[in-house]
Amino acid sequence: MDVILNDIVDANDLRKFRHQYEEQCGRGVPSEKAQFEYSICLVRSRGEQEIKHGIALLEDLFKRTHDPGTRRDCLYYLTLANTRIKNYEQALTFSDAFLKIEPMNRQVKDLQHYAKIQLRKEGLTGMAIVGGAALALGGLIGLGVHLARK
Amino acid sequence: MGVGKSCLLHQFTEKKFMADCPHTIGVEFGTRIIEVSGQKIKLQIWDTAGQERFRAVTRSYYRGAAGALMVYDITRRSTYNHLSSWLTDARNLTNPNTVIFLIGNKSDLEAQRDVTYEEAKQFADENGLMFLECSAKTGDNVEDAFLDTAKKIYQNIQDGSLDLNAAESGVQHKPAQPRTPLNTDQQPSKEGCQC
Repeated sequence: MDVILNDIVDANDLRKFRHQYEEQCGRGVPSEKAQFEYSICLVRSRGEQEIKHGIALLEDLFKRTHDPGTRRDCLYYLTLANTRIKNYEQALTFSDAFLKIEPMNRQVKDLQHYAKIQLRKEGLTGMAIVGGAALALGGLIGLGVHLARK
Repeated sequence: MGVGKSCLLHQFTEKKFMADCPHTIGVEFGTRIIEVSGQKIKLQIWDTAGQERFRAVTRSYYRGAAGALMVYDITRRSTYNHLSSWLTDARNLTNPNTVIFLIGNKSDLEAQRDVTYEEAKQFADENGLMFLECSAKTGDNVEDAFLDTAKKIYQNIQDGSLDLNAAESGVQHKPAQPRTPLNTDQQPSKEGCQC
């Protein structure tokens, strides 16, 4: 899973598919193929901004396409992209939608499993921080009481 | 219906047949550690989607591969007919020492055979490819296809035709823990990789 999540797009590919997409945008509505290729390069970029741009293009493609295969692949990449930027809840929404169509897909089930574990970990860390704050506050009150008594 | 690349990989890494395997989206990845001439070698295998819409974006995975497994389905001639176009991609994007192995998958379906062994063997010989017919379903020859590819790569290193220091050799040598990743881009028919 880590290998797929950390797989970085080839810089030349990103440039090539961006050029293709932008050229088509300049002439009107880009083809679904150009938009798909560019967006799946974007979601494999290092930068969060690029990944978010890829997500926006995939969401747009998902809405406009009539091809069930393209919709399916968009859902997969939306799951992957959101997992990459640690947007796990959003990732789970997309993986759920995918698994409604294809419940046994291993690629998506693996991603979903990973996102769920990360989300649980974050939840525990959040609780630990809140727990820590409560302890600190307790300490302050205790100190206040102590000082007041003095 | 695909030629069975993901099923071959699954059979090799998990020793199980995956029935009802869906079309691969983008790429999948698998590893297995094997032993060649007493050396432990870790194979890193990229399994690329076979569907046409992924063809342009999966090309980048060929670069730096030490080996490539090109798969067709012996029960569908159309998948065999596409081989030359996949081979062109593989040749153009890999280095001259990349080992290319041709696999005729689904050899268990003898009654539905559409491509003879002899014809494919001749194609392989003419193009300098290694060749085996395999069955991801029964596991027949699957192990051999991957191991023979790895052995050939290892042999290329031994006789000096594959330079480990070259950036695109696809092989890393780890002295403390000898390791030789093999990037195996499995190349599909046009229809792709559903089993």
